[in-house]
Amino acid sequence: MLYFFSNFLGGIGKKFLDFVANIGHFFIFFVSAISWMLKPPWYFKKIFQQTLDIGYFSLPVVGLTTFFSGMVLALQTYNGFTEFNSETTVARVVLTSITRELGPVLTGLMVAGRVGAKMAAEIATMKVTEQIDALGTLGTRPMQYLIAPKIIAAIICIPLLVLIGNTIGILGGYVIAIYKLNFNPNLYLYATIEYLQLMDIIQGIVKAAIFGLIISMVSCYFGYNATKGAEGVGFATTSSVVISSVLILTSTYIITALFFG
Amino acid sequence: MKKKVYRKSIIKVSDLYKSFNNNIVLKNINFELLEGESLAIIGESGSGKSVLLKNIIGLLKPDRGSIKIDNTEMVNLQRNSKEEILLRLGITFQHGALFDSLKNWENIIFKIANQDKMNKKEGKKLAFAIIKQLGLKPEILDLYPSEISGGMQKRVAIARAICGNPKILLFDEPTSGLDPVTGSLIDKLIKTAVKTIGGSAITITHDMASVCRIADKVILIDKQTISWSGTPREMFVSENTKIQEFIKPINSEIFFK
Repeated sequence: MLYFFSNFLGGIGKKFLDFVANIGHFFIFFVSAISWMLKPPWYFKKIFQQTLDIGYFSLPVVGLTTFFSGMVLALQTYNGFTEFNSETTVARVVLTSITRELGPVLTGLMVAGRVGAKMAAEIATMKVTEQIDALGTLGTRPMQYLIAPKIIAAIICIPLLVLIGNTIGILGGYVIAIYKLNFNPNLYLYATIEYLQLMDIIQGIVKAAIFGLIISMVSCYFGYNATKGAEGVGFATTSSVVISSVLILTSTYIITALFFG
Repeated sequence: MKKKVYRKSIIKVSDLYKSFNNNIVLKNINFELLEGESLAIIGESGSGKSVLLKNIIGLLKPDRGSIKIDNTEMVNLQRNSKEEILLRLGITFQHGALFDSLKNWENIIFKIANQDKMNKKEGKKLAFAIIKQLGLKPEILDLYPSEISGGMQKRVAIARAICGNPKILLFDEPTSGLDPVTGSLIDKLIKTAVKTIGGSAITITHDMASVCRIADKVILIDKQTISWSGTPREMFVSENTKIQEFIKPINSEIFFK
Protein backbone atom coordinates (compact mmCIF):
# COMPACT_ATOMS: atom_id res chain seq x y z
CA MET A 1 0.00 0.00 0.00
CA LEU A 2 2.77 2.36 1.06
CA TYR A 3 4.75 1.35 -2.03
CA PHE A 4 1.78 2.10 -4.27
CA PHE A 5 1.23 5.47 -2.57
CA SER A 6 4.89 6.51 -2.86
CA ASN A 7 4.91 5.45 -6.51
CA PHE A 8 1.79 7.47 -7.15
CA LEU A 9 3.26 10.57 -5.51
CA GLY A 10 6.55 10.01 -7.33
CA GLY A 11 4.67 9.88 -10.65
CA ILE A 12 2.91 13.16 -9.93
CA GLY A 13 6.20 14.75 -8.88
CA LYS A 14 7.93 13.60 -12.07
CA LYS A 15 5.11 14.95 -14.24
CA PHE A 16 5.31 18.28 -12.44
CA LEU A 17 9.09 18.47 -12.83
CA ASP A 18 8.77 17.58 -16.55
CA PHE A 19 6.17 20.31 -16.92
CA VAL A 20 8.42 22.90 -15.27
CA ALA A 21 11.37 21.75 -17.41
CA ASN A 22 9.26 22.10 -20.56
CA ILE A 23 8.23 25.63 -19.59
CA GLY A 24 11.91 26.44 -19.08
CA HIS A 25 12.87 24.95 -22.47
CA PHE A 26 10.07 26.85 -24.15
CA PHE A 27 11.20 30.11 -22.56
CA ILE A 28 14.79 29.57 -23.75
CA PHE A 29 13.49 28.74 -27.25
CA PHE A 30 11.28 31.86 -27.19
CA VAL A 31 14.14 34.20 -26.25
CA SER A 32 16.48 32.56 -28.76
CA ALA A 33 13.90 32.79 -31.57
CA ILE A 34 13.21 36.47 -30.86
CA SER A 35 16.93 37.28 -30.81
CA TRP A 36 17.50 35.46 -34.14
CA MET A 37 14.48 37.26 -35.59
CA LEU A 38 16.12 40.62 -34.93
CA LYS A 39 19.57 39.72 -36.30
CA PRO A 40 20.58 39.98 -39.98
CA PRO A 41 20.60 38.34 -42.45
CA TRP A 42 16.85 38.25 -42.97
CA TYR A 43 15.70 35.67 -45.48
CA PHE A 44 13.19 37.81 -47.36
CA LYS A 45 12.33 35.09 -49.86
CA LYS A 46 11.43 32.74 -47.02
CA ILE A 47 9.44 35.48 -45.26
CA PHE A 48 7.52 36.13 -48.49
CA GLN A 49 6.80 32.40 -48.96
CA GLN A 50 5.53 32.16 -45.40
CA THR A 51 3.45 35.32 -45.82
CA LEU A 52 1.74 33.71 -48.81
CA ASP A 53 1.19 30.47 -46.94
CA ILE A 54 -0.07 31.97 -43.69
CA GLY A 55 -1.91 34.97 -45.12
CA TYR A 56 -3.10 34.37 -48.63
CA PHE A 57 -3.86 30.65 -48.40
CA SER A 58 -5.70 31.06 -45.08
CA LEU A 59 -8.08 33.62 -46.57
CA PRO A 60 -10.75 31.13 -47.75
CA VAL A 61 -11.02 29.30 -44.42
CA VAL A 62 -10.95 32.55 -42.39
CA GLY A 63 -13.43 34.21 -44.76
CA LEU A 64 -15.92 31.33 -44.60
CA THR A 65 -15.69 31.00 -40.82
CA THR A 66 -16.16 34.68 -40.07
CA PHE A 67 -18.88 35.10 -42.73
CA PHE A 68 -21.01 32.32 -41.21
CA SER A 69 -20.26 33.50 -37.68
CA GLY A 70 -21.54 36.97 -38.61
CA MET A 71 -24.68 35.40 -40.06
CA VAL A 72 -25.34 33.23 -36.99
CA LEU A 73 -24.69 36.17 -34.70
CA ALA A 74 -27.24 38.33 -36.54
CA LEU A 75 -29.87 35.58 -36.40
CA GLN A 76 -29.34 34.77 -32.73
CA THR A 77 -29.25 38.40 -31.67
CA TYR A 78 -32.43 39.10 -33.60
CA ASN A 79 -34.18 36.20 -31.86
CA GLY A 80 -33.18 37.60 -28.49
CA PHE A 81 -33.89 41.24 -29.23
CA THR A 82 -37.06 41.16 -31.37
CA GLU A 83 -38.99 43.05 -28.71
CA PHE A 84 -36.43 45.87 -28.56
CA ASN A 85 -35.04 48.17 -31.21
CA SER A 86 -33.50 45.20 -33.01
CA GLU A 87 -32.24 47.00 -36.15
CA THR A 88 -29.62 48.96 -34.25
CA THR A 89 -29.07 46.30 -31.58
CA VAL A 90 -28.31 43.54 -34.09
CA ALA A 91 -25.84 45.80 -35.93
CA ARG A 92 -24.18 46.76 -32.68
CA VAL A 93 -23.91 43.23 -31.30
CA VAL A 94 -22.57 41.84 -34.60
CA LEU A 95 -20.03 44.65 -34.88
CA THR A 96 -18.78 44.52 -31.31
CA SER A 97 -18.66 40.73 -31.10
CA ILE A 98 -16.84 40.36 -34.38
CA THR A 99 -14.28 43.14 -33.93
CA ARG A 100 -13.53 42.49 -30.28
CA GLU A 101 -13.67 38.71 -29.97
CA LEU A 102 -14.96 36.48 -32.73
CA GLY A 103 -12.86 37.91 -35.56
CA PRO A 104 -9.49 37.56 -33.82
CA VAL A 105 -10.30 34.35 -31.91
CA LEU A 106 -11.83 32.47 -34.84
CA THR A 107 -9.04 33.61 -37.14
CA GLY A 108 -6.46 32.56 -34.54
CA LEU A 109 -8.04 29.13 -34.07
CA MET A 110 -8.38 28.53 -37.81
CA VAL A 111 -4.77 29.56 -38.47
CA ALA A 112 -3.60 27.42 -35.53
CA GLY A 113 -5.34 24.43 -37.10
CA ARG A 114 -4.24 25.07 -40.65
CA VAL A 115 -0.87 26.79 -40.45
CA GLY A 116 0.31 25.82 -36.96
CA ALA A 117 -0.13 22.12 -37.69
CA LYS A 118 1.72 22.51 -41.00
CA MET A 119 4.60 24.43 -39.40
CA ALA A 120 5.00 21.86 -36.63
CA ALA A 121 4.81 18.91 -39.04
CA GLU A 122 7.28 20.49 -41.48
CA ILE A 123 9.88 21.35 -38.84
CA ALA A 124 9.40 18.05 -36.99
CA THR A 125 9.92 16.09 -40.23
CA MET A 126 13.06 18.11 -40.93
CA LYS A 127 14.25 17.39 -37.42
CA VAL A 128 13.74 13.63 -37.48
CA THR A 129 15.23 13.28 -40.97
CA GLU A 130 18.39 15.20 -39.95
CA GLN A 131 17.62 18.09 -42.31
CA ILE A 132 17.98 20.58 -39.46
CA ASP A 133 21.35 19.04 -38.55
CA ALA A 134 22.36 19.33 -42.20
CA LEU A 135 21.33 23.01 -42.29
CA GLY A 136 23.67 23.72 -39.39
CA THR A 137 26.60 22.18 -41.25
CA LEU A 138 25.95 24.15 -44.44
CA GLY A 139 26.65 27.61 -43.12
CA THR A 140 23.07 28.36 -42.14
CA ARG A 141 21.60 28.87 -38.70
CA PRO A 142 18.40 26.83 -38.46
CA MET A 143 16.73 29.25 -36.03
CA GLN A 144 17.39 32.15 -38.38
CA TYR A 145 16.61 30.33 -41.63
CA LEU A 146 13.66 28.19 -40.56
CA ILE A 147 12.03 29.64 -37.47
CA ALA A 148 12.46 33.44 -37.71
CA PRO A 149 10.71 33.82 -41.13
CA LYS A 150 7.70 31.87 -39.82
CA ILE A 151 7.38 34.07 -36.73
CA ILE A 152 7.82 37.32 -38.67
CA ALA A 153 5.24 36.25 -41.27
CA ALA A 154 2.72 35.12 -38.64
CA ILE A 155 2.98 38.40 -36.71
CA ILE A 156 2.42 40.37 -39.92
CA CYS A 157 -0.25 38.18 -41.54
CA ILE A 158 -2.65 37.32 -38.74
CA PRO A 159 -3.57 40.97 -37.96
CA LEU A 160 -4.24 41.48 -41.68
CA LEU A 161 -6.32 38.31 -41.77
CA VAL A 162 -8.27 39.56 -38.74
CA LEU A 163 -9.02 42.89 -40.45
CA ILE A 164 -10.30 41.03 -43.51
CA GLY A 165 -12.14 38.49 -41.35
CA ASN A 166 -13.81 41.30 -39.38
CA THR A 167 -15.04 42.92 -42.60
CA ILE A 168 -16.37 39.61 -43.94
CA GLY A 169 -18.01 38.77 -40.59
CA ILE A 170 -19.78 42.13 -40.49
CA LEU A 171 -20.83 41.54 -44.08
CA GLY A 172 -22.28 38.15 -43.06
CA GLY A 173 -24.40 39.88 -40.41
CA TYR A 174 -25.47 42.50 -42.94
CA VAL A 175 -26.57 39.84 -45.48
CA ILE A 176 -28.81 38.12 -42.92
CA ALA A 177 -30.13 41.38 -41.51
CA ILE A 178 -31.11 42.74 -44.91
CA TYR A 179 -32.11 39.65 -46.90
CA LYS A 180 -33.61 37.47 -44.18
CA LEU A 181 -34.70 39.79 -41.42
CA ASN A 182 -35.74 42.53 -43.87
CA PHE A 183 -33.99 45.37 -42.02
CA ASN A 184 -33.54 48.73 -43.63
CA PRO A 185 -30.06 48.63 -45.25
CA ASN A 186 -29.34 52.33 -44.66
CA LEU A 187 -30.35 52.15 -41.03
CA TYR A 188 -28.29 49.00 -40.46
CA LEU A 189 -25.22 50.46 -42.13
CA TYR A 190 -25.62 53.73 -40.26
CA ALA A 191 -25.83 51.84 -36.95
CA THR A 192 -22.76 49.79 -37.85
CA ILE A 193 -20.68 52.86 -38.70
CA GLU A 194 -21.95 54.76 -35.67
CA TYR A 195 -20.90 52.06 -33.24
CA LEU A 196 -17.57 51.33 -34.88
CA GLN A 197 -14.87 52.08 -32.29
CA LEU A 198 -11.21 52.55 -33.14
CA MET A 199 -10.25 50.94 -29.81
CA ASP A 200 -12.12 47.74 -30.75
CA ILE A 201 -10.16 47.48 -33.98
CA ILE A 202 -6.82 48.22 -32.29
CA GLN A 203 -7.57 45.66 -29.61
CA GLY A 204 -8.39 43.07 -32.30
CA ILE A 205 -5.13 43.78 -34.10
CA VAL A 206 -3.09 43.56 -30.90
CA LYS A 207 -4.77 40.23 -30.11
CA ALA A 208 -4.09 38.97 -33.61
CA ALA A 209 -0.39 39.87 -33.44
CA ILE A 210 -0.10 38.06 -30.09
CA PHE A 211 -1.95 35.06 -31.53
CA GLY A 212 0.51 35.08 -34.45
CA LEU A 213 3.39 34.98 -32.00
CA ILE A 214 1.74 32.20 -29.98
CA ILE A 215 0.89 30.02 -32.99
CA SER A 216 4.27 30.32 -34.70
CA MET A 217 6.30 30.01 -31.51
CA VAL A 218 4.40 27.01 -30.12
CA SER A 219 4.34 25.20 -33.48
CA CYS A 220 8.02 25.80 -34.14
CA TYR A 221 8.92 24.75 -30.59
CA PHE A 222 7.14 21.41 -30.80
CA GLY A 223 8.47 20.81 -34.32
CA TYR A 224 12.04 21.73 -33.40
CA ASN A 225 12.07 19.42 -30.40
CA ALA A 226 10.45 16.44 -32.12
CA THR A 227 11.99 13.01 -31.62
CA LYS A 228 11.06 9.39 -32.34
CA GLY A 229 10.36 9.46 -36.08
CA ALA A 230 6.81 9.50 -37.42
CA GLU A 231 5.30 9.20 -33.95
CA GLY A 232 7.23 12.31 -32.89
CA VAL A 233 5.94 14.25 -35.91
CA GLY A 234 2.36 13.31 -35.00
CA PHE A 235 2.88 14.30 -31.37
CA ALA A 236 4.43 17.65 -32.36
CA THR A 237 1.54 18.43 -34.71
CA THR A 238 -1.22 17.56 -32.24
CA SER A 239 0.50 19.29 -29.34
CA SER A 240 1.08 22.47 -31.33
CA VAL A 241 -2.61 22.78 -32.30
CA VAL A 242 -3.93 21.94 -28.82
CA ILE A 243 -1.50 24.19 -26.91
CA SER A 244 -1.87 27.08 -29.40
CA SER A 245 -5.67 26.89 -29.16
CA VAL A 246 -5.65 26.83 -25.35
CA LEU A 247 -3.18 29.75 -25.22
CA ILE A 248 -5.28 31.74 -27.73
CA LEU A 249 -8.41 31.33 -25.60
CA THR A 250 -6.52 32.15 -22.40
CA SER A 251 -4.72 35.16 -23.79
CA THR A 252 -7.85 36.63 -25.38
CA TYR A 253 -9.35 36.91 -21.89
CA ILE A 254 -6.21 38.55 -20.50
CA ILE A 255 -6.00 41.06 -23.36
CA THR A 256 -9.72 41.87 -23.14
CA ALA A 257 -9.38 42.39 -19.40
CA LEU A 258 -6.38 44.69 -19.98
CA PHE A 259 -8.20 46.78 -22.61
CA PHE A 260 -11.72 46.88 -21.18
CA GLY A 261 -11.37 45.52 -17.64
CA MET B 1 65.95 5.38 -48.77
CA LYS B 2 62.31 6.47 -48.75
CA LYS B 3 61.91 10.03 -47.55
CA LYS B 4 59.47 10.40 -44.67
CA VAL B 5 56.81 12.99 -45.53
CA TYR B 6 55.35 15.03 -42.72
CA ARG B 7 51.60 15.15 -42.96
CA LYS B 8 49.45 17.69 -41.16
CA SER B 9 46.86 16.53 -38.63
CA ILE B 10 43.38 17.29 -39.98
CA ILE B 11 41.16 15.76 -37.30
CA LYS B 12 42.42 14.60 -33.94
CA VAL B 13 40.08 12.97 -31.43
CA SER B 14 41.50 12.36 -27.96
CA ASP B 15 40.01 10.63 -24.95
CA LEU B 16 36.43 11.16 -26.11
CA TYR B 17 33.52 9.95 -23.99
CA LYS B 18 29.83 10.25 -24.80
CA SER B 19 26.78 8.91 -23.01
CA PHE B 20 23.01 9.38 -23.18
CA ASN B 21 21.05 9.14 -19.91
CA ASN B 22 23.89 7.29 -18.16
CA ASN B 23 24.13 4.85 -21.07
CA ILE B 24 27.74 4.99 -22.29
CA VAL B 25 27.93 5.00 -26.08
CA LEU B 26 31.57 5.93 -26.64
CA LYS B 27 34.54 5.73 -24.29
CA ASN B 28 38.23 6.49 -24.60
CA ILE B 29 38.12 7.19 -28.34
CA ASN B 30 41.48 8.27 -29.77
CA PHE B 31 42.41 8.58 -33.42
CA GLU B 32 43.92 10.99 -35.90
CA LEU B 33 43.13 11.74 -39.53
CA LEU B 34 46.11 13.07 -41.48
CA GLU B 35 46.20 15.26 -44.57
CA GLY B 36 45.45 13.26 -47.72
CA GLU B 37 44.32 10.25 -45.74
CA SER B 38 41.10 8.30 -46.07
CA LEU B 39 39.87 6.71 -42.87
CA ALA B 40 37.05 4.18 -42.64
CA ILE B 41 35.14 3.63 -39.42
CA ILE B 42 33.45 0.26 -39.17
CA GLY B 43 31.36 -1.35 -36.48
CA GLU B 44 28.04 -3.03 -35.87
CA SER B 45 24.79 -1.08 -36.15
CA GLY B 46 24.26 0.89 -32.96
CA SER B 47 27.94 0.81 -32.02
CA GLY B 48 28.13 4.62 -31.94
CA LYS B 49 29.77 5.39 -35.31
CA SER B 50 27.25 8.08 -36.26
CA VAL B 51 27.37 9.46 -32.71
CA LEU B 52 31.13 9.85 -33.14
CA LEU B 53 30.63 11.71 -36.42
CA LYS B 54 28.03 13.99 -34.82
CA ASN B 55 30.48 14.77 -32.03
CA ILE B 56 33.14 15.68 -34.57
CA ILE B 57 30.87 18.11 -36.42
CA GLY B 58 29.56 19.62 -33.19
CA LEU B 59 25.97 18.38 -33.38
CA LEU B 60 26.56 16.54 -30.12
CA LYS B 61 28.75 17.61 -27.26
CA PRO B 62 31.07 14.98 -25.79
CA ASP B 63 30.94 14.35 -22.05
CA ARG B 64 34.69 14.70 -22.04
CA GLY B 65 37.64 14.68 -24.40
CA SER B 66 39.04 16.77 -27.17
CA ILE B 67 38.23 17.12 -30.88
CA LYS B 68 40.60 19.16 -33.00
CA ILE B 69 39.93 20.09 -36.61
CA ASP B 70 42.86 21.80 -38.33
CA ASN B 71 44.39 22.16 -34.86
CA THR B 72 41.39 24.11 -33.56
CA GLU B 73 39.69 22.70 -30.49
CA MET B 74 36.04 22.21 -31.42
CA VAL B 75 34.59 21.35 -28.00
CA ASN B 76 33.29 24.56 -26.39
CA LEU B 77 34.34 26.60 -29.41
CA GLN B 78 32.29 29.76 -29.99
CA ARG B 79 29.45 29.39 -32.49
CA ASN B 80 30.88 31.75 -35.12
CA SER B 81 34.29 30.07 -35.15
CA LYS B 82 32.66 26.63 -35.24
CA GLU B 83 30.54 27.67 -38.23
CA GLU B 84 33.64 28.89 -40.05
CA ILE B 85 35.30 25.51 -39.58
CA LEU B 86 32.17 23.59 -40.57
CA LEU B 87 32.18 25.46 -43.88
CA ARG B 88 35.46 23.70 -44.72
CA LEU B 89 33.77 20.33 -44.31
CA GLY B 90 31.67 18.34 -46.75
CA ILE B 91 29.25 16.12 -44.88
CA THR B 92 26.70 13.51 -45.90
CA PHE B 93 24.21 12.15 -43.42
CA GLN B 94 23.07 8.56 -43.12
CA HIS B 95 19.70 9.18 -44.79
CA GLY B 96 20.79 11.94 -47.14
CA ALA B 97 19.05 14.77 -45.24
CA LEU B 98 18.19 16.61 -48.45
CA PHE B 99 15.87 19.59 -48.04
CA ASP B 100 12.39 18.51 -49.20
CA SER B 101 11.28 22.01 -50.08
CA LEU B 102 14.22 22.70 -52.42
CA LYS B 103 14.90 21.28 -55.87
CA ASN B 104 17.89 18.99 -56.27
CA TRP B 105 20.08 21.67 -57.86
CA GLU B 106 19.23 24.07 -55.02
CA ASN B 107 20.17 21.36 -52.53
CA ILE B 108 23.52 20.76 -54.24
CA ILE B 109 24.63 24.38 -54.30
CA PHE B 110 23.02 25.32 -50.96
CA LYS B 111 26.27 26.06 -49.13
CA ILE B 112 27.92 27.89 -52.02
CA ALA B 113 24.79 29.91 -52.76
CA ASN B 114 24.68 31.02 -49.13
CA GLN B 115 28.26 32.25 -49.28
CA ASP B 116 28.37 33.78 -52.76
CA LYS B 117 25.09 34.86 -54.22
CA MET B 118 24.70 33.21 -57.61
CA ASN B 119 21.90 33.30 -60.13
CA LYS B 120 19.80 30.32 -61.17
CA LYS B 121 21.76 29.72 -64.39
CA GLU B 122 25.15 29.69 -62.64
CA GLY B 123 23.81 27.50 -59.85
CA LYS B 124 22.37 24.91 -62.20
CA LYS B 125 25.57 24.89 -64.25
CA LEU B 126 27.63 24.20 -61.14
CA ALA B 127 25.21 21.51 -59.93
CA PHE B 128 25.28 19.86 -63.36
CA ALA B 129 29.09 19.74 -63.39
CA ILE B 130 29.01 17.86 -60.08
CA ILE B 131 26.22 15.38 -60.80
CA LYS B 132 27.90 14.41 -64.07
CA GLN B 133 30.73 12.85 -62.03
CA LEU B 134 28.17 10.88 -60.03
CA GLY B 135 26.46 9.33 -63.02
CA LEU B 136 23.25 11.32 -62.58
CA LYS B 137 21.21 12.72 -65.44
CA PRO B 138 20.65 16.48 -65.75
CA GLU B 139 16.85 15.97 -65.70
CA ILE B 140 16.93 15.30 -61.96
CA LEU B 141 18.20 18.82 -61.24
CA ASP B 142 14.75 20.36 -61.58
CA LEU B 143 13.03 17.66 -59.54
CA TYR B 144 12.49 17.62 -55.79
CA PRO B 145 14.27 14.97 -53.66
CA SER B 146 10.96 13.16 -53.12
CA GLU B 147 10.65 12.70 -56.90
CA ILE B 148 13.85 10.66 -57.30
CA SER B 149 14.86 7.22 -56.03
CA GLY B 150 16.64 6.60 -52.72
CA GLY B 151 19.91 5.81 -54.51
CA MET B 152 19.72 9.03 -56.50
CA GLN B 153 18.98 10.97 -53.31
CA LYS B 154 22.11 9.50 -51.80
CA ARG B 155 24.15 10.67 -54.79
CA VAL B 156 22.59 14.16 -54.64
CA ALA B 157 23.57 14.27 -50.96
CA ILE B 158 27.14 13.36 -51.93
CA ALA B 159 27.05 16.03 -54.64
CA ARG B 160 26.01 18.56 -51.97
CA ALA B 161 28.90 17.43 -49.75
CA ILE B 162 31.58 17.74 -52.43
CA CYS B 163 30.24 20.99 -53.93
CA GLY B 164 32.86 23.70 -53.41
CA ASN B 165 35.69 21.13 -53.10
CA PRO B 166 35.93 20.97 -49.30
CA LYS B 167 39.24 19.64 -48.00
CA ILE B 168 37.64 17.49 -45.31
CA LEU B 169 34.94 15.02 -46.28
CA LEU B 170 32.79 13.13 -43.81
CA PHE B 171 30.50 10.44 -45.16
CA ASP B 172 27.98 8.50 -43.09
CA GLU B 173 27.23 5.28 -44.97
CA PRO B 174 27.54 6.78 -48.45
CA THR B 175 27.01 3.50 -50.30
CA SER B 176 24.24 1.91 -48.24
CA GLY B 177 21.16 1.27 -50.34
CA LEU B 178 23.06 1.65 -53.61
CA ASP B 179 23.56 -1.00 -56.27
CA PRO B 180 27.14 -2.37 -56.54
CA VAL B 181 27.89 -0.40 -59.71
CA THR B 182 26.83 2.92 -58.21
CA GLY B 183 28.48 2.00 -54.90
CA SER B 184 31.74 1.42 -56.75
CA LEU B 185 31.29 4.74 -58.57
CA ILE B 186 30.85 6.55 -55.25
CA ASP B 187 33.96 4.85 -53.88
CA LYS B 188 35.97 5.99 -56.88
CA LEU B 189 34.66 9.50 -56.41
CA ILE B 190 35.66 9.57 -52.73
CA LYS B 191 39.10 8.30 -53.67
CA THR B 192 39.45 10.84 -56.47
CA ALA B 193 38.25 13.66 -54.21
CA VAL B 194 40.88 12.76 -51.63
CA LYS B 195 43.65 12.36 -54.21
CA THR B 196 42.97 15.30 -56.52
CA ILE B 197 42.18 18.03 -54.03
CA GLY B 198 44.58 16.68 -51.41
CA GLY B 199 41.65 16.29 -49.07
CA SER B 200 41.04 13.92 -46.22
CA ALA B 201 38.00 11.77 -45.63
CA ILE B 202 36.27 9.85 -42.88
CA THR B 203 33.78 7.28 -44.10
CA ILE B 204 31.44 5.37 -41.86
CA THR B 205 30.40 2.17 -43.56
CA HIS B 206 29.35 -1.45 -43.20
CA ASP B 207 30.41 -2.18 -46.75
CA MET B 208 33.74 -3.99 -46.46
CA ALA B 209 34.28 -3.95 -50.22
CA SER B 210 34.01 -0.18 -50.03
CA VAL B 211 36.50 -0.12 -47.11
CA CYS B 212 39.03 -2.03 -49.21
CA ARG B 213 38.57 0.33 -52.13
CA ILE B 214 38.73 3.70 -50.36
CA ALA B 215 40.49 3.43 -47.02
CA ASP B 216 44.13 3.97 -46.11
CA LYS B 217 43.33 3.26 -42.49
CA VAL B 218 40.46 1.45 -40.74
CA ILE B 219 39.18 1.65 -37.19
CA LEU B 220 36.67 -0.71 -35.63
CA ILE B 221 34.33 0.49 -32.92
CA ASP B 222 33.21 -2.32 -30.70
CA LYS B 223 31.99 -2.31 -27.09
CA GLN B 224 31.92 1.52 -27.07
CA THR B 225 35.59 1.92 -27.92
CA ILE B 226 38.14 1.51 -30.72
CA SER B 227 38.94 -2.17 -30.48
CA TRP B 228 41.09 -2.45 -33.59
CA SER B 229 42.87 -0.16 -36.05
CA GLY B 230 45.09 -0.79 -39.03
CA THR B 231 45.21 -0.79 -42.81
CA PRO B 232 42.70 -2.66 -44.99
CA ARG B 233 45.39 -5.27 -45.77
CA GLU B 234 46.04 -5.79 -42.07
CA MET B 235 42.36 -6.61 -41.57
CA PHE B 236 42.83 -9.84 -43.50
CA VAL B 237 45.57 -11.07 -41.22
CA SER B 238 44.06 -9.77 -38.02
CA GLU B 239 43.19 -12.19 -35.25
CA ASN B 240 40.53 -9.86 -33.85
CA THR B 241 37.34 -11.94 -33.90
CA LYS B 242 35.10 -9.01 -34.74
CA ILE B 243 37.32 -8.04 -37.68
CA GLN B 244 37.23 -11.64 -38.86
CA GLU B 245 33.42 -11.58 -38.74
CA PHE B 246 33.41 -8.42 -40.83
CA ILE B 247 35.82 -9.68 -43.49
CA LYS B 248 34.43 -13.20 -43.75
CA PRO B 249 32.27 -12.50 -46.82
CA ILE B 250 35.07 -10.63 -48.60
CA ASN B 251 37.59 -12.09 -51.00
CA SER B 252 40.68 -9.99 -50.39
CA GLU B 253 42.35 -11.03 -53.65
CA ILE B 254 39.76 -9.14 -55.66
CA PHE B 255 40.75 -5.89 -54.00
CA PHE B 256 44.47 -6.27 -53.49
CA LYS B 257 45.51 -8.00 -56.68
